[in-house]
Amino acid sequence: MSHRDKPHMSEQSKTLEIMRRIGAPRPEKIRISGILQSPVLASLTLLLPGGDSDPTATVLEILGELEINIRFINKYRDSVGNTSLCLCIDADVLDTAISALDVHEESLGIRDFVYHPKVIVISIYPHKQRPRVAERLLTALRMDGVDPLSTNNASSVVSCVVNSEYVEQALACLASAFELP
Amino acid sequence: MGSAETLEIYPLKIQRGLTQLSFLRIPTRPGATRPLFDLLERHNVPVRFLIEGCAGDYNRDLIVCIDSEAFTLLEPELKEVETRMQTQALELRQPVAVIRILGPHFDIRPGTSSLLFGALQQADIAIFSNATTITSSMCVIPDDQVESAKRVIGRTFDIPKKKK
Repeated sequence: MSHRDKPHMSEQSKTLEIMRRIGAPRPEKIRISGILQSPVLASLTLLLPGGDSDPTATVLEILGELEINIRFINKYRDSVGNTSLCLCIDADVLDTAISALDVHEESLGIRDFVYHPKVIVISIYPHKQRPRVAERLLTALRMDGVDPLSTNNASSVVSCVVNSEYVEQALACLASAFELP
Repeated sequence: MGSAETLEIYPLKIQRGLTQLSFLRIPTRPGATRPLFDLLERHNVPVRFLIEGCAGDYNRDLIVCIDSEAFTLLEPELKEVETRMQTQALELRQPVAVIRILGPHFDIRPGTSSLLFGALQQADIAIFSNATTITSSMCVIPDDQVESAKRVIGRTFDIPKKKK
């Protein structure tokens, strides 16, 4: 049921190629107060039933009972009414988490399950709440061929999940897109 | 982990009267969401909540919450934005509220998010969206369920009273 998602950074659209060739306009840098990166984590993205039968709390309970730390959550309803749940956990407990979710696959109604064994959460800290920060982060990374798996803005930090093999590239890209102190 | 009663959190931060906009299945290409952010910036509209996730087939889903007043202002221009973003669906929810739970260190205490989600679910409070990082969790819920959510979270975690 679960499957490992292949990194698809090489999957470039024609638009990206054209933008690279002609050179996209370089916008003014946005000042931020810092960039942090997490230790190596694993990400799990589950497609679950939505609405009243949304089993998110049960998924979290199962992982909590196994003493699995959850360092990142993105949850929302997708275009067909399913719940999309992305979690980041410590990389060394990925197998434990997969086994536990496999056991409960039917009762949880898991419709799809994708995992990435090595990811990093990169967090950037803007000076104030600005709509542009998340967009700049996503555009800068994608222009550079790094496709964040998941992104959120909780409180005063914008965090994105990237495959660990692209982390150096992502950090260098963000250092040129934002003005660091 | 310790008992739920021992987990102290900061006073809740609640933003009410918001609209959640779900731009679903946007093509994954650089700048795809720029029309939306250009519009928000032009009208000086702050984003109260944002998540972006993978929608399969090289598409993305983008969920943002903005003030409903600002939404009314932007609404006439949204159709064009939707077209320029090549969004396959735009879903709206309003009014919604964003509750920020800050402090219980979700990253180092297994089961903390389960406590939060479990308590809200038991009280029949719908969590439309959630963004959780190390020390904070932001839940988008129906605006009319804010008072219930405050009571439930207050029973689940220890929230210090605000000093007068």
